Amino acid sequence: MIASAQSPILEKVDASLRLPVLIFFGCAACWLVLGTFLCAVAGFKLVWPGFLDGPAFLTYGRIAPAAVNVLVYGWASSAAFGIVLWLLARLGRTPLDYVVLPVAAAIFWNVGVFLGLLAILAGYSRSVFLLEFPGFISGILFIAYLFIAVWGIVLFRRRAPGSVFVSAWYLLAALLWFPWLYFTGNALLIWGHPVSGPAQAPIASWFASGIINLWLAPVALSAAFYLIPQILGRRLVSYNLSLLGFWSFAVFAAWTGMAQLIGGPVPAWMVSAGVVASILLFIPVLVISINLLGTMRGSFEAWLWSPSLRFTLAGAGAFLLVYVSGVLLALPGVNAVFHFSDVLLGQGALALFGFVSMSFFGAIYYIVPRLTGQAWPSDGLIRWHFWLFTVAVGTGYLCLMFGGMTQGFALSDPGVDFSSSVAFATPFRLMAALCAIALLVGAACFTGLFFRAVLSVFEPAAKSSAPAVTV
Amino acid sequence: MNRMPLLVFGVFLTFAAAWLGLVAYPYVTLGQLQPVTDENSGDVYPPSLSGLAATGQKVYASNGCVYCHSQQVRPAYLTSDIANKLGPRRTVARDYLRDQPAFTGSLRIGQDLTNYGLRAPSVNEIHRHLYDAQAVVRGSIMPSYRFLYTMRKISGQPSNGALTGLTGRHAPAPGFEVVPTEDATVLAAYLLSLKRDYPLPEAPQETTE
Repeated sequence: MIASAQSPILEKVDASLRLPVLIFFGCAACWLVLGTFLCAVAGFKLVWPGFLDGPAFLTYGRIAPAAVNVLVYGWASSAAFGIVLWLLARLGRTPLDYVVLPVAAAIFWNVGVFLGLLAILAGYSRSVFLLEFPGFISGILFIAYLFIAVWGIVLFRRRAPGSVFVSAWYLLAALLWFPWLYFTGNALLIWGHPVSGPAQAPIASWFASGIINLWLAPVALSAAFYLIPQILGRRLVSYNLSLLGFWSFAVFAAWTGMAQLIGGPVPAWMVSAGVVASILLFIPVLVISINLLGTMRGSFEAWLWSPSLRFTLAGAGAFLLVYVSGVLLALPGVNAVFHFSDVLLGQGALALFGFVSMSFFGAIYYIVPRLTGQAWPSDGLIRWHFWLFTVAVGTGYLCLMFGGMTQGFALSDPGVDFSSSVAFATPFRLMAALCAIALLVGAACFTGLFFRAVLSVFEPAAKSSAPAVTV
Repeated sequence: MNRMPLLVFGVFLTFAAAWLGLVAYPYVTLGQLQPVTDENSGDVYPPSLSGLAATGQKVYASNGCVYCHSQQVRPAYLTSDIANKLGPRRTVARDYLRDQPAFTGSLRIGQDLTNYGLRAPSVNEIHRHLYDAQAVVRGSIMPSYRFLYTMRKISGQPSNGALTGLTGRHAPAPGFEVVPTEDATVLAAYLLSLKRDYPLPEAPQETTE
């Protein structure tokens, strides 16, 4: 724990952001609990199809997309908005004006996600991955997003003079990429008359990988680039590495989704471009990791006293793992065997729960005490949250990878009938579903802690205590 | 980095490059594909969907079948899909001309359905499978779609469309029958329409030999 007195301008910045950012984080935390719960339900349904069956809204084909959408648009995107606004204001030393607009946008966004969840469960989905929300709901989300993004850009334009830090590059890129991505995806696949069937596979693939690579990943990396040097009180290893990492990530990341269409109904060059991009993505991933972990060199014991550093480092580790295994899985011989298997689920879970979520937890553990002016109420719960998530994500990933590999070999062998591929994968799916339960418990620890921290501000006794800030 | 226009321009350009290649290009090329007409028979490929099947496609989407079932057959030089008898040839872009949306899928938690209509024994069998898959295939993990069916007391003669040969946990008690709802009927019509064995110039029949 360290206590630090903040400069008056930063206190003013934090005060102006308190309401919108805490609303975003609070909604995100609730969505996380619901999302991991739905994940666990879907996971058990894959093992025991009779589990909770009967009514239409409980069928696997509705619960599974509901879980993914709640996690991506409810949890991760809401958390990302809070992080984006806070980081841009903090980096530019600019207070946020007209707080009512971002607050309204936050409410609109989260109401939109709630309606979208109901629509999926009620069966109003077109079953396009990550575009399951009906058109009018994605319209609400898009408009809410524009309000948030405009405020982000305003904060950036009003920044205090000086060089623009690497975190701000990623934030600016994410703020510009997301609307283009989301608008294109909805305009071509959901709204009005969608494009004809043959053109949909590449566009849908580009969209789904873009939501991770071009929206959530840049925000997560931005948080890591801010937090690691800030917590340690030192500079990033190298400015040139930052430049190289950012630009090579920007160039390659958008193309990687095509690797998954191997043998699919798209021109061969698209798959090749996706494979090449996935392999070349190794460069930015290596460069970014060296830059982040190199900054840590000699100070890894800081892990012990700083929960936000602990989560951020776990997120950075998952980042390295998910993209390096992505390189191996993109190799055509490997890809053709493991495509259509649970390996894909494992990769997705590691990206979402490992890389994105852990990085966001790190940022939230850093930001909230600065907004409430008080230390986190319980160290023990933070530890529980960290270890539950780390162990569950790690174990779940290994299970889905091993299960997926045996399943992939079974699917590729004409001598093995299909039911064997199910039988091979089932024990691993059961383990993964148990990991989802651990994630649910971890998420509940986090959410309980968050609301205790926020509500304790209103307790009279707490107000008089010293304004200590933990990182 | 202090030159802001450079940053914004670069961010724009990197995204635009992928967008042109992966969105705009398929939009203007694959998006303009037309059905082909067989010169001898005058048949149109891919054949258009019946009204029932087109409605069934919506039921397929609303219940998320695509999260477990792919509809893609990959070429023989790359995978064993042809040897696994998923279809006589690979699927190509034109095969998805009647699909809205295109259910290519990315997981095979369940069987590939590209050519399910070719191997489905009968409409009653499809209904039995949807109603209670475990009673038909041992070890199946497919959910039961009982909510697409109505169980009712038989009054007088059994109904025409009632399912026959139901066994297992959810089989109707004596004196009761299970009839498909409108949604189940159209879904079965859609599943039965899944036949991608027609000839296309760009996708000749493949053999594994």
